[in-house]
Amino acid sequence: MNEQILVELLYQLADDELVAGHRASEWLGLAPHFEEDIAFASIAQDEIGHATAFYRLLEELGQGKADDLAFLRPAAERRNAVLLERPNGAGTYLENPAFDWGFTVARALVYDLFDTVRLEVLTRSAYEPLAQLAAKIRREERYHLLHHTTWFKRLATGTDESRRRLQAGLERVWPEVGGLFALGFVPTGDIFPATITDLVDRWTAELSPLFDSVGLAWPSGQIMRPPVGLDGRRGQHASDLEELLATMSEVYRTAPGAAW
Amino acid sequence: MTEAERHAAFMARIERGEKIEASDWMPAEYRITLVKFMQMHALSEIMGALPEKEWVPRAPTLARKLSLMAKVQDEMGHGQLILRVAEDLAAPLGKTREDLVEELFTGVAKFHNVFHMPAPTWADCGIIGWLVDGAAVVSQAALLDSSYGPYARVLQRVCAEEGFHIQHGESICLALAEGTPAQRQMLQEALNRWWEALLLFFGPAETNSASATILLKYRFRTKTNEDLRQKFFTKYVPRIWSLGLTLPDPDFRWDEAQGRWIYTAPDWSKLKEIARNQGPLSQYRLGLRRMSYEQARWVREALLGKVVA
Amino acid sequence: MSEEKPLFNVYEVFVQKDHGSPHVWVGSVDAGSPDDALLMARENFLRRETAVSIWVVRQQDVHRTDYEDRDFFARESDKQYRMLSGYNKSNAEKWRKYKKSLLDLEKDFVKD
Repeated sequence: MNEQILVELLYQLADDELVAGHRASEWLGLAPHFEEDIAFASIAQDEIGHATAFYRLLEELGQGKADDLAFLRPAAERRNAVLLERPNGAGTYLENPAFDWGFTVARALVYDLFDTVRLEVLTRSAYEPLAQLAAKIRREERYHLLHHTTWFKRLATGTDESRRRLQAGLERVWPEVGGLFALGFVPTGDIFPATITDLVDRWTAELSPLFDSVGLAWPSGQIMRPPVGLDGRRGQHASDLEELLATMSEVYRTAPGAAW
Repeated sequence: MTEAERHAAFMARIERGEKIEASDWMPAEYRITLVKFMQMHALSEIMGALPEKEWVPRAPTLARKLSLMAKVQDEMGHGQLILRVAEDLAAPLGKTREDLVEELFTGVAKFHNVFHMPAPTWADCGIIGWLVDGAAVVSQAALLDSSYGPYARVLQRVCAEEGFHIQHGESICLALAEGTPAQRQMLQEALNRWWEALLLFFGPAETNSASATILLKYRFRTKTNEDLRQKFFTKYVPRIWSLGLTLPDPDFRWDEAQGRWIYTAPDWSKLKEIARNQGPLSQYRLGLRRMSYEQARWVREALLGKVVA
Repeated sequence: MSEEKPLFNVYEVFVQKDHGSPHVWVGSVDAGSPDDALLMARENFLRRETAVSIWVVRQQDVHRTDYEDRDFFARESDKQYRMLSGYNKSNAEKWRKYKKSLLDLEKDFVKD
């Protein structure tokens, strides 16, 4: 087994979930409806939990301590898709958080659907610990997908304004969706037994009917493959990720190796 | 029955220690005072999420990130539980959740003074989880026997979850206390910073406010502010000292003769500023809350599914 | 645009923790629909507990007795006939009698 490829793949998985969960956690206390604040926080926790599990697999492969991998690696080494590092809206979570729920719902749905497709592939990975972990995580994803699909439908069919805002969110998401499907330095093989086309096709097969069901037009333009613009899977990131990492590691860096 | 007779019968029920339920007859004064009290409690939980959520994106380990997220989630959860009770009681007054929340922005409804305070370092998170939640548990325990049934019942669940919060806070503080000199110093400084807020938490010793009198009369709350503050000291000061931390009050001590803790009174006038939402971070935190609430009006409207033209 | 403020429905939430237990009331949520209520209920009430089922019922669909109508629950006549305590003593007295005679019988049988 090519360990280098496995490590690359694990970083993609871990970094995706860490960044997604981190952005989701910025919504704590600020979500549009109190009951939803509570529900959404569980999804954010699940994502950080998944990231932790993937970093632990990397730790077992001798890459270093999970916390170091999460907090210390510079942006150029990160393998998350760029879509996930984009801010939740204008402002920051501390200053004037003009967060966009339409964008958040759009992003959460396209990412979770992609993750569901990817996890299914991973259950067939030749690396047994990863296959087992993927099987476990898949069950948690059921609720995530139900949650995001429900919100997608509510916004699409709720009011004129919610529909407009969801569409605007989708328009912001779409140019970078392709970056999720990029495989970076991971070729199709027994560690990751699927091609980019497989992933995109399966994802489209699930998502397209959902758009139809609420009368939303499938956004024009092909899902970029390979991605035009920044390819997060090859370590190309926006300044958004640097800012995110600076915040995330702010305390950790004051004493790496210390017990917290 | 005349109004006076009904009132007398109601007070007799209270004095017998009976529980009042949402659909029972109750004096207007009881309902209105209670709604205000529970509204403040609920809004305090919701506003209380804000100081700690500041640290979730900066939490220094994956485990702490998760634990802090769970704790903040619980605070929102407690707010939700108590708000629902307040909503049901407020319904006959024609008040909805929207009204109860908007009163926070107009300043009619207040949120607890402790959540107007800054949390500038990671150690503040530990102090909040351990000692602020500790203070909340002491004060909430006195409400468990509240005459209002739905509130007493919901508080059982709230108090049970607070146990985890204190453990979480203790865990952070213990790690810092046993850590590097810089970590220990951060912890001591955070404690110094929060000490006054912890004293203010329970309110002034002698309070002749109209609503405090009503709360005791209707057995809505069963202990005085000073009782609770003393209880807090007994529970937490020995532990604070055992970690080698000091209190920023050189005169703080146990007086055997009086059977109580002697402490330097905080500046009670700060409570007045806070009540006018002029505390250190009052406007900032209200701003966050107001912004997110108002910006998301369109989302709540969509949840109710008005017709798409 | 209407100046109406959103008015949520209240759904009472019941949770069944396992197949050996009944559904139990745990609280309520403000939601726009039963499906939303179910979705919210999971995280609002089951963060620390496992369950196999959630029911949600609109608050206005819950029919209730009146707390003040205590007579509704009044039981004045002796209902010992349907309680364990109504039989324990009298049955036990009789069994003691039979147990004694059984012992005596055994004495007769156990011969050598």
